[in-house]
Amino acid sequence: MTPPISKRSAVIAIDAMGGDHGAEEVVRGAAALSLEPTYVQTVLVGDGDVISKILSGVRHNPERISLHHASQAVRMDESPAQALETKPDASILVAARLVKEGSADALVSAGNTGASVLACAKLWNKIPGIRRAALAAVYPTETRRGEKDDPFSLILDVGATLDVTAEDLAGFAIMGSAYAQLVSKNRRPRVALLSNGAEAGKGPPEIVAAHRLLTEATDLNFVGNIEGVDIPRGTADVVVCSGFVGNVVLKMLEGVHGTIMRLASYAYKERLIWRAGLMMLSGGLNRLKQITDWEEYGGAPVLGFDKLFIKAHGRSGARAITNAAKVAAKVVDADLAKQIEEAVRRFDARRAA
Amino acid sequence: MAEPLSPSSSALRRAHVYRWDLDKTYLRTDFDTLKALVRTAFEGAERKQAVPGAAALLRELRAGGARICFVSGSPRQMRRVLTKKLRLDGVEFDEFILKPNLRNMLTGRFRAMREQVGYKLPALLSGRAGVPESFHESCFGDDAEADGFIYSLYADLIAGRVDRPLLQKILAGAGVYPDAVARTLALADAIPRAEAVNRIFIHLDRLSPTARFDRYGPRLVPIFNYFQAALVLYEDGDLTAHSVVRVVFEMIERFDYKLDALRNSLQDLLRRGRLSRETPRKLGIEIEKERVPQLGTLPDAREILAQFASRVTELGETPAYSRPSNQPVDYLAAMEVDLPRKGRTRKDIAP
Repeated sequence: MTPPISKRSAVIAIDAMGGDHGAEEVVRGAAALSLEPTYVQTVLVGDGDVISKILSGVRHNPERISLHHASQAVRMDESPAQALETKPDASILVAARLVKEGSADALVSAGNTGASVLACAKLWNKIPGIRRAALAAVYPTETRRGEKDDPFSLILDVGATLDVTAEDLAGFAIMGSAYAQLVSKNRRPRVALLSNGAEAGKGPPEIVAAHRLLTEATDLNFVGNIEGVDIPRGTADVVVCSGFVGNVVLKMLEGVHGTIMRLASYAYKERLIWRAGLMMLSGGLNRLKQITDWEEYGGAPVLGFDKLFIKAHGRSGARAITNAAKVAAKVVDADLAKQIEEAVRRFDARRAA
Repeated sequence: MAEPLSPSSSALRRAHVYRWDLDKTYLRTDFDTLKALVRTAFEGAERKQAVPGAAALLRELRAGGARICFVSGSPRQMRRVLTKKLRLDGVEFDEFILKPNLRNMLTGRFRAMREQVGYKLPALLSGRAGVPESFHESCFGDDAEADGFIYSLYADLIAGRVDRPLLQKILAGAGVYPDAVARTLALADAIPRAEAVNRIFIHLDRLSPTARFDRYGPRLVPIFNYFQAALVLYEDGDLTAHSVVRVVFEMIERFDYKLDALRNSLQDLLRRGRLSRETPRKLGIEIEKERVPQLGTLPDAREILAQFASRVTELGETPAYSRPSNQPVDYLAAMEVDLPRKGRTRKDIAP
């Protein structure tokens, strides 16, 4: 039996109905988390009957799991605004409300990204000094970082805010750096702006202005501009860009990954000698796959709100959900919002000076 | 170690027998590795740990005069240390049966050292023969071995739902030695038939999926802690509101449980359909009406009740996930799942 509770633990609300795999994988993820020595409580939000049936079939510790019934759910293909309008009891809305009311400390969802971010925006407040929220993503790189040897860099924004100002970009940099410090245990994350050249004057006006702001008014480890090619190289630990650019970059990187996998599959089928070559490399490739396994990371945060939302990938399996909730609990324990607020205050003070 | 809390004066059923297993049901025992097994065998009574709430529940059940009988797979050589542990916890008992493992080893009955059906079933039947026919029973076991199977078989046997040929098949399939088969059959033949077993509680020490026990019907309730058992016993009329509070008190005061864990446990029972939604409400009214005193550092009863009520509300209006159906238990199918076989098929085991 798991040890009894000795202190108040983080309570993570999980939207049980979101994700490509439906409730099954999400509930299994919460069940697995309830068995871990790290004490995290979860509130599974969604169809009570569905969740109960799944829980009855898996090992779990119910002392660490509660269920909050929500009669509706937003599908992955639904229009976010319309879905939230017509489904007031949608699991993502109910879960975000629980966090707002203090019944839970953070939110995890693998569901419809737009609806999730919109639900948070509707119900939560922004951190003082932060004008726009940013959706982050993690991407595997050649180099590792921090005490945890984290192979992932953080890219933000990847879609929450399409039009940005230099101040918005500076805000993203501050938030991304604070998050990377906590999650990757990276004391001085290298922060960079994504542009079309390394020189300070390269890029659209907001990038040029943001470069100046980050150089002059922040105490971040700002390494200047980087180009797209630097993202997989791991030149920076936190890559800052507008939501429009970030989304295009992320989709392209995913597309490249998919193409490589298809080419490898083609090579495997096409010639015996290529197949033999791939088989000889399989050990190394598997190791690489393990190192860069995004499920290990769980999810990426939506930063800028006074509450935390970890967006897990739509394809998340149980392990990714477990890890996303663990990341959320870790960030809650460290009070990320407060750290960001203080960093923003320092930034404002420097600018004023 | 703090002195055990004196039980409350009002238990409800005197003509009742509570049959308990020891390891992993009453005691937190680890014998999953050889090292842990050796440590368990040699540790003193003072070092042994009870499962949170188990001692308080036993004291409450005993307080009204119910019989407490232990039937354990621990070897007889551990009697002194185990009875001392129970004494330290303030638990009184009427029967204490341990397994003759040394004799089994010396006589080469190695299968009997591990096998439980051929030991526990006759022990339970023999115990039943010693109590008046009108006595009802509740059994407590765990998910580490085959307690759910054995207790259910025992209940259905004395209720007359398992006939002689089926019992013979089961005993053969379980690998029970011929002399134990003969003894079990003789005891089963002689026992007066009665619907005596009200409840079987299986403590989920290994956190097994609860659905694993659905095959045994609604009589068997898988529990994750003894607060859950106390709630079901309260609903059944076997425990008072005072007693439930005392079980909660022990779990919080001596085992550092927080209310979050307890209210989640309550919600778990409700959503599994193992407790009626009316029961927490009734418990709340009784606690207030009877002015159950505040115990130690336990929060005020009103606060506890408010917290419990919020978990009930959060379940919404959805019907609880349906309880297992009350179909007859298919023991031959259950054997395949719940009785360990160790590399041989059942057909290979001679009766």
